[in-house]
Amino acid sequence: MNIRGVFIEDTFAEAFTMRAARLVITGATPRWAMAAALKLTGFATSVIGCKCEAGIERELAPSETPDGRTGVSVLFMVMSKDDMPKRLIERVGQTVLTCPTTACYDGLPDAPDRVGVGSALRFFADGFQASKVIAGERFWRIPVMEGEFLVQEKFGMLKAIGGGNFLILARSAAAALAAAEAAVDAMAGMAGAFLPFPGGVVRSGSKVGSRRSKTMIASTNDAFCPTLRAVTKSDLPEGVNSVLEIVINGIDAPAIARAMRAGIDAACREGIVAITAGNYAGKLGPHHFYLRKIMAEGAPA
Amino acid sequence: MSEDLVLTLRAPLKAAVDCSGLALHAWAELAPADVARLPVRMVGTDAVALGDLFNVRGGKGGRIRFSGDLARAESLGAGLERGDVLIEGNVGREVGARMRGGRISVTGDAGWGAGLELAGGVLEIGGSAGPRAGGAPLGAKRGMTGGEVIVRGSAGAEAGASMRRGLVAIAGDAGEGAGRAMLAGTVVVFGATGPTPGQWSKRGTILALGPVTPPATYRFACSYQPQYVALLLRHLGDHRGLPVTQEHLMGSYRRYSGDFAELGAGEILAWTRD
Repeated sequence: MNIRGVFIEDTFAEAFTMRAARLVITGATPRWAMAAALKLTGFATSVIGCKCEAGIERELAPSETPDGRTGVSVLFMVMSKDDMPKRLIERVGQTVLTCPTTACYDGLPDAPDRVGVGSALRFFADGFQASKVIAGERFWRIPVMEGEFLVQEKFGMLKAIGGGNFLILARSAAAALAAAEAAVDAMAGMAGAFLPFPGGVVRSGSKVGSRRSKTMIASTNDAFCPTLRAVTKSDLPEGVNSVLEIVINGIDAPAIARAMRAGIDAACREGIVAITAGNYAGKLGPHHFYLRKIMAEGAPA
Repeated sequence: MSEDLVLTLRAPLKAAVDCSGLALHAWAELAPADVARLPVRMVGTDAVALGDLFNVRGGKGGRIRFSGDLARAESLGAGLERGDVLIEGNVGREVGARMRGGRISVTGDAGWGAGLELAGGVLEIGGSAGPRAGGAPLGAKRGMTGGEVIVRGSAGAEAGASMRRGLVAIAGDAGEGAGRAMLAGTVVVFGATGPTPGQWSKRGTILALGPVTPPATYRFACSYQPQYVALLLRHLGDHRGLPVTQEHLMGSYRRYSGDFAELGAGEILAWTRD
């Protein structure tokens, strides 16, 4: 398969089951809602080192938020159910509770699994907290120096998917970056998906384990490092001098497939040799995203 | 969709009728003829069959609709657990008392103690409510423990008295002693709030959108914009049809803490136009 002269490799992205929460952060102005969202999703690129993966799903209009202010929808993922409460409590407690004017609400009201967040953060109020039940949902009011922080008691949690990906194989670093930026722009704001890495792009794709250390769970993906072409078993086609990866997490497979389709299509541009994907021969992750199938489904009839 | 079960009053009630034992939520399984055989107590007489007072017709499993002046029907809908009940006209004291779920809508006025000790569900009164709407029985320490009482007119004295949880929202004025001895919960008054609101309350909120004078045992804290008020008012405006304005949503609220004759953990939030 070729898209505008870019070869689409017949392979698949291998992804893993994770657990997701969706947080709706509102603020007096878009600036403050975004400030909290950026802090909350900071240092949340990979569970390998950050214990969670998080990203901004999209900005919300006042009509889309519970309190009628502008907001930001954040998707937040961890590997297991047990991880979710601890990670959410520390993140919301340190980055939203602290941020002027913000409030924090559950964005997955229909999810049957519920995780206590406000119910734990209320203790910051040192006995001065108050709760209110509105339309069957409990909210905690935590007095702070500015006024009051409002946080929902429980947040919904769903099974989700992390690790959807594709790799952009380019003739030059500049071409790889331009294609990656175009892909990220095309995927921005797509409901149900987010890109956890800086600017949505990863330059340091990894393989499982390490050649030298038994304790490292991941190390550089030498098969795709252009500088190692001569010293390792390289998977890079002739003419490729730079590779960037886009990792996509989503609340379900269709959300990831939609984003991949838009991203790959945008990345197929001048200077790109091929698009491929990272997998472990299907041995590790249960979710497989076949590049050609995804792109064929999006092709015009 | 199931057909309404309609009970039309045959003649004006000559005496008070105690409807507290009717368990309306169980009527979904009953045919109209079975409903007509259910007994109610009428003051001054022995038990009478419901069918002697009402013409009963319609289907089962749908909404229950009462029609006629039921100002002498007491405790109608008491203990309702589920289902939808419409009362067309006025109703007597303690309508929806001890409800645990479902919805009762009264198009007219309701007597003393509407939604007394309500624990869940929604009681909606299209007209005005008598004293102690959403309150506790006299002498009881605890009133409402959940659910919502919505009054589209005004409410008498001591609305929400001794409530522990839940919401009482009054589109008109509230009489003296709204939220008296509240343990928690929320009373919202769109009109004028009568004298001594929140007196002896331990916790809980009185949200006054009209004129209010906090008791001397409350102390002013600050003016601010509590986000939960926006949430609450949007719920009342969007889902309960109450007259919430943009000014209510965007305005500041003066917070008074009290009652310091008790714990002092309650509050009166008085809306200001600033």
